[in-house]
Amino acid sequence: MATSETIDRSPTLRRVESVPPDATVRHIDQLEEPTLAWFLETLESGATPTVDAPGLEDGEIIVFTACYRFELS
Amino acid sequence: MTEYVIIGDGISGSSAAETLREEDPDANITIITDEGEPLYNRILIKEHAKGKLPEAPISIHDEDWYAEREIELSLNTHVTTIDSEEKIVRIHEGEDIPYDKLLIATGGTPTQLPVPNSDAEGIHHFWTFQDARAIRESAEAADDAVVVGAGLLGIDFAAVCGAQGVEGKYLMRGDRWWRYALSADGAEIMHNGMRDVGVEPVFDSGVDHFETDDDGQVAAAVDPNGERYECDFAGVAIGLTFNTEFLYGTDLEMENGIVVDEYMETNLEDVYAAGDITRFYDVLLGEQAQNGSWGSAKEQGRVAATNMAADAQSEEFQWVSSYSITHFDFPFLSFGHPTLGDEHAERRYSDTEWRRVAFKDGKIVGGVLIGDLSPQSTFKKLMRQQRDVADQAELLLEQSVDMDKLAPAQEQ
Repeated sequence: MATSETIDRSPTLRRVESVPPDATVRHIDQLEEPTLAWFLETLESGATPTVDAPGLEDGEIIVFTACYRFELS
Repeated sequence: MTEYVIIGDGISGSSAAETLREEDPDANITIITDEGEPLYNRILIKEHAKGKLPEAPISIHDEDWYAEREIELSLNTHVTTIDSEEKIVRIHEGEDIPYDKLLIATGGTPTQLPVPNSDAEGIHHFWTFQDARAIRESAEAADDAVVVGAGLLGIDFAAVCGAQGVEGKYLMRGDRWWRYALSADGAEIMHNGMRDVGVEPVFDSGVDHFETDDDGQVAAAVDPNGERYECDFAGVAIGLTFNTEFLYGTDLEMENGIVVDEYMETNLEDVYAAGDITRFYDVLLGEQAQNGSWGSAKEQGRVAATNMAADAQSEEFQWVSSYSITHFDFPFLSFGHPTLGDEHAERRYSDTEWRRVAFKDGKIVGGVLIGDLSPQSTFKKLMRQQRDVADQAELLLEQSVDMDKLAPAQEQ
């Protein structure tokens, strides 16, 4: 069931030092408002977020002060 | 069947095309662009120039994207004029293109510095993917560089220098970077960020002329004080000149950009405009405004297309823009119109944290956050709500902004 799959997969942000050519990459200025808020809050807290990330795909890289890979572990 | 023509394949033109296809599945849609490649991610080209990103992720659409949506894409095509009476777009070669509804989304071109030798080899402007490739190539081979233009675009050149190990001199006309939005306190944080990556800001400077070598390659910049700065390349970012030459023979209302209302309509029937090129009516600000951010351009394209397809004033453009600088260890975010308004409040919190909020008629119209971006969501919400909060500036400057502490809107 889709719901349980979502619950079981915790979203995380992992800093990466390089970006592969086949990566999907966005700058934070391209994030929709809820996604931007989630991203900033998650980085600020440094903790595993308690709510799902809106509008991000597994493996997507976000360019901020460093590059962060969004992962559903 | 409606014929839609879009001039410009940046994010606003492309966003409009996508919306038009969704709203009007049977229509003919044509995009004309003088660039040689389909839509790419203009925000990320600076990361490519810095050497941080390969080319592939920067492309957004390939030509198949247009074909799959039955959108006719015409690359390397220059529009010479439009005839709004006959409803025709004239191009430099080939047949005229008729339209029922036209969207102009041609953006701008970097302004050249009006000084001797400003067209020398090695003097770069930063706007297209091709520009980014050339800047990257120059930077990888350079030891010294000069940067001109103390604003949001110029700082990208400084970041390229820092990332590519180039010693940079950032020549500014005034006493600080982005003096229209930052006080000395805020600017000092940015100056230190530049210094940390090896770029030295030089104040009360600028460029009087460039010197070249025997091959016509830039060799130095000389400022109005007579100081000489040797360089292997120079980056110039003093603003944009809007691409409106092809419109000079028309009756389109222009005022440093194309004037549109909140529906993205121009003064000419069935002619719309979107993106950087517009001077739009900002419903939150209550006056005409301009904005060059990605999100604003994308949304303007969507709203214009929605109204074009509806053949009515179906949706107005209402948007709080964001523009971030992510080159340093600390983040920077400008939102709304931080250089406008009739009063402002600001505070410095640490060596890397500063905040400014601009108000007009008591309402937030923009601001700048350095270091701590956590209040951005709250400030944007207050802007959208058009809350009268200027008299509660102290609360807005607290490190953590709590909306619950603000006086309820209905009691004001």
